[in-house]
Amino acid sequence: MTAILARHAEALAARLPPLLARSPRVANSVTAGAHARRRVGPGSSFWQFRPYASGDQPSQIDSRASAKSDRAYVRQTEWELAQTVHIWCDGSASMEWRSNTSLPTKAGRASLLLLAVSALLLRGGERVRPLGGAPAATLDRLAEAVARQPAAGLPALTDMPAHGRLLMAGDFLAPLAEIEASFRPYATRPVRGHVVQILDPAELALPYSGRVRFQGMEAEPDAIVPQVEGVRATYAAAIATQQAGLRAICDRAGWTCTVHRTDARAEDALLDLYQAIA
Amino acid sequence: MFATPWLLLALPALPVLWWLLRVTPPSPAVMRFPAIRLLAGLATQPTAARTPWWLLALRLAAAALLIVGLAGPIRDPSAPLPGTGPVLLVIDNSWAAASDWPTRLQAATAILDRAEREGRSAALLATASVPAETVPAPGAVLPASAIRTQLGALRPMPWPADHRAPVLPAGAVFYVSDGIAQPGDDAFATALRVAGPVTQLQADPPTAALLRPSLDPAGTFGARLSILPHSAETRAAILAQTSAGGTLARTAVTVTAGSDGIGFTLDLPAGVRNQVGRLVVEGAPSAGSVLLLDERWRRRPVGLVAADSAADAPLTGPLFYVRRALSPTAELRDGTPPALIDGGVAALLLADTPLAGTDLLAVTKWVEAGGTLIRFAGPRLAEAPDALLPVTLLAGDRQLGGAMSWTEPAAMAPFPAASPFAGLAVPAEIRINRQVLAEPSAGLADRTWAGLADGTPLVTGANRGAGRIVLFHVSANADWSNLPLSGLFVDLLRRVVALSAGVATVADDTPLRPAEALDGFGALGPPSVSALPLSGSAIDATVASPQHPPGLYGPEAGRRALNLGSALPPLRAGGGVTAPLLGGTTERAVGPTLVASALGLLVLDLLLSLSLRGLLRPAMACLLLAAAPAMAQRRPSDNPALATRLAYIRTGDAAVDAVSAAGLAGLSALVNRRTAATLGEPASVVPGQSDLSFYPLLYWPVLPQAPPADTAALNDYIAHGGIILIDTRGAGTGEGFAPGADNALRRAAQGLNVPPLAPLGPDHVLARSFYLLNEFPGRYTGGTVWVGRDQDRSNDRVSPVVIGGHDWAAAWATDAAGRNPYATVPGGARQRVLAYRFGVNLVMYALTGNYKGDQVHIPALLERLGQ
Repeated sequence: MTAILARHAEALAARLPPLLARSPRVANSVTAGAHARRRVGPGSSFWQFRPYASGDQPSQIDSRASAKSDRAYVRQTEWELAQTVHIWCDGSASMEWRSNTSLPTKAGRASLLLLAVSALLLRGGERVRPLGGAPAATLDRLAEAVARQPAAGLPALTDMPAHGRLLMAGDFLAPLAEIEASFRPYATRPVRGHVVQILDPAELALPYSGRVRFQGMEAEPDAIVPQVEGVRATYAAAIATQQAGLRAICDRAGWTCTVHRTDARAEDALLDLYQAIA
Repeated sequence: MFATPWLLLALPALPVLWWLLRVTPPSPAVMRFPAIRLLAGLATQPTAARTPWWLLALRLAAAALLIVGLAGPIRDPSAPLPGTGPVLLVIDNSWAAASDWPTRLQAATAILDRAEREGRSAALLATASVPAETVPAPGAVLPASAIRTQLGALRPMPWPADHRAPVLPAGAVFYVSDGIAQPGDDAFATALRVAGPVTQLQADPPTAALLRPSLDPAGTFGARLSILPHSAETRAAILAQTSAGGTLARTAVTVTAGSDGIGFTLDLPAGVRNQVGRLVVEGAPSAGSVLLLDERWRRRPVGLVAADSAADAPLTGPLFYVRRALSPTAELRDGTPPALIDGGVAALLLADTPLAGTDLLAVTKWVEAGGTLIRFAGPRLAEAPDALLPVTLLAGDRQLGGAMSWTEPAAMAPFPAASPFAGLAVPAEIRINRQVLAEPSAGLADRTWAGLADGTPLVTGANRGAGRIVLFHVSANADWSNLPLSGLFVDLLRRVVALSAGVATVADDTPLRPAEALDGFGALGPPSVSALPLSGSAIDATVASPQHPPGLYGPEAGRRALNLGSALPPLRAGGGVTAPLLGGTTERAVGPTLVASALGLLVLDLLLSLSLRGLLRPAMACLLLAAAPAMAQRRPSDNPALATRLAYIRTGDAAVDAVSAAGLAGLSALVNRRTAATLGEPASVVPGQSDLSFYPLLYWPVLPQAPPADTAALNDYIAHGGIILIDTRGAGTGEGFAPGADNALRRAAQGLNVPPLAPLGPDHVLARSFYLLNEFPGRYTGGTVWVGRDQDRSNDRVSPVVIGGHDWAAAWATDAAGRNPYATVPGGARQRVLAYRFGVNLVMYALTGNYKGDQVHIPALLERLGQ
């Protein structure tokens, strides 16, 4: 299953140009996440020997390479970048739901989007790791790690480097206070966050009628609505309030917030994310 | 009016139901929903969940309809039954009631229903089931439901009703009459009237149909259809069937209004006639509508004997003319007189052959036992007359006319009224030149069956023992007279042969045991134990009765038929004031309709409840409602491209088309069973209108009146590899069944690109393509089947047409029960098997072309390999 998901994500990502994370702040001191950019720059690993040219500092001349011939060579190292994207996927039971069998579940769409972004990042040479997990070098390993993430509706507090990036996908239907409480530690670190709220169209429109007993997905008490048509407007206002609250929380933290409906195309959401991260 | 009114007591319970429905809210739809936290606040304001008023009304209406429907309301209730006391049901379950027996049962059941509703008991008297020795009386008076069971077990009997005066208890009499007057009707009617008010029910118009045998001395094959005269024209069809039930011929008769019947004859080819086992009126199963045919109806074997060694010489031989006159109607045998008698002949014809010694003894004994001896005079007989002659002959013969005579050749006188030949017209041109003369005697005039204008006898006949001797005083060839050249000769011989008794003549007073008996519906079965033997002489005068049920009597070799129609007095309509069987106000039970509509409302309620709970999508509802009729209307696709099918050309004659369809269906079933080919249902096509390119083989029955076909379409079909089987449906029957079909074929197929033809032989691929065949019969056999010459190299040597007249489709045809409805002629299971094999070969030939041709070339290939 995870392998299939990884292939889907790869196919989706193949349609976007490689995504290079441009971090405004690159700190060499950040230990975690340093990795080669495959070009010349400050780093610790050898990249190439280059003939000495005027203007180079003599201390850069490599004695061993220069001793093999008449010419002097300068030793250059590979540019290393300290940028890691952490991804988090909502693993709660309410994500495993869809209003119509022709739609994907919210969890499925969330995993797909996260992995597609990860695929783009990996192709661009970035480093991706699940929040609270080990870095994963390949998409397959990443997909397995995302599938193993704890079944929590909000990201738990974990040790995360400062100035890192956090990509979160979920339905974010929890009370706004809980959401803010869970986001605050990351926002103050600081961490640059991207929130994708994934909702089923039925959760936005409430397309039911008559007397309906609604059952929750996470052991909430049942709610009997005598006339669903009558509460549709009220419900729309409630969901709009929730979305506005989420967006306000993100704005306060300087994070981006996008909303994705499962009946929309995954490519569009990927583009939004691309623009947010790039 | 209600059948069970107490059920209406449930109606006051409806308000309780209404209250129950009010207090029980409709159960909500259950829906899982992640964003339930947002809904939780909204669900707190409870609204009273009430069943909508219109749904309540719907349910109450359904319940009310159900209660009223189960109470059994009846519309247009009949007036109460007349009289008091038990209902006496008197039913004529005679042969005449069989053809509309279900209607009669329905009428009687309706009376019992009414009796049951009024709580009256009933009794049943079936007039044809009364034993002869007891006084007719109804069975025990029982509740109407018990009588209904008795009624269901009642069957029509194959004899007339017994109208002796019955002993009836007092009550209301309902008499379901068969409409035919019986002796003793007056006493019967009086006895019914004494018992109580009488209601007589009778079919209108009467449906009884009776076939009476009419054995015409001329040997025609006919009978008479008797009915009760009524004001409308009656159409019926008579089927000639074999003993096994296969139909050989069908003729339609029309009885004009007011007439009591019509005589008819069936013109059957000679080969078919002997196979006819019974005549049946189509569609009216009763003992009266079946006429069983016994030996007397068969073609009689006639032994021919002539002393002349050149007896069959064309135009001069004494048996030349006799043979031609008798062969269409009689079976002719040759041999010596004792051998012929041993083999069993109905008549023995001696042409100028004096008898002597053992021959004379044998023939004398045979004649005295009932044989018919026909003799022709001639030079030998004139020389030496023997004892077996109806008259004493004067020695020598008499010459009339001629060069040395003053007299003119004599003409014939009209036949005497007492002669068996009476009624035949005498052609004026008959001249007798020479004859033998009878010795004048007192009884000569009585023995003279035909005479000359001058009074001398020409044909004399006399009884001898149980048999008969007939002498023609002229020779059997044209030497002595031109009588053998005339059509009268044929008639004379046929009448004489028809006079003869059958082959296996049972001595008249021997009691014949009943072998098979007809039941009331005209089906043959084992006779009941009460059936008694019957003497052969009395069989034609016996009216069928429980002791002597109609059927076949006697030993297997010499069955005699006792037919209901042979001795029954003329049909007369019975008297009495009658009412139609199912007339007047028909009671209609409205209950089932009401219950059905209640169920419909409940289904509607179910759909509405489901939709209120959100469990029903409109598409699913439409599917549910439309599923049943849609399933019923689904038919297999008849797109001709989806399966390989045989096809026949529609002729416009529905009967022929039905035979073609059944034949090709039967053949397709066999091909599917026996071979790897898979054929679909056969199709019918009209050249020029249908696309013929889908069909490998076309069957084309050509009718005598067939219009010219659209040969352009057929030529195109042939040019693209199609094969047409053209069937004139009459070969081998002497044009007996399809006169003019050959001419019709020439006319209809004019313009068809038929290649040069050759007779189909056993070396042709068609005879080798699946089975190895030497002959190609269909329903008939013996005709030549034509195919394209083998040398014709166009179209890969595959013949585009197969032309014959064996009526293959009729041989292949099967009915719904898998039987073959059309008998093969001359018959036999082997012919049927070969007909099917020919069909399989033809299909293989059409499907594989010349692929199987290699088998024909095997000898040539082997020879080449050997070199």
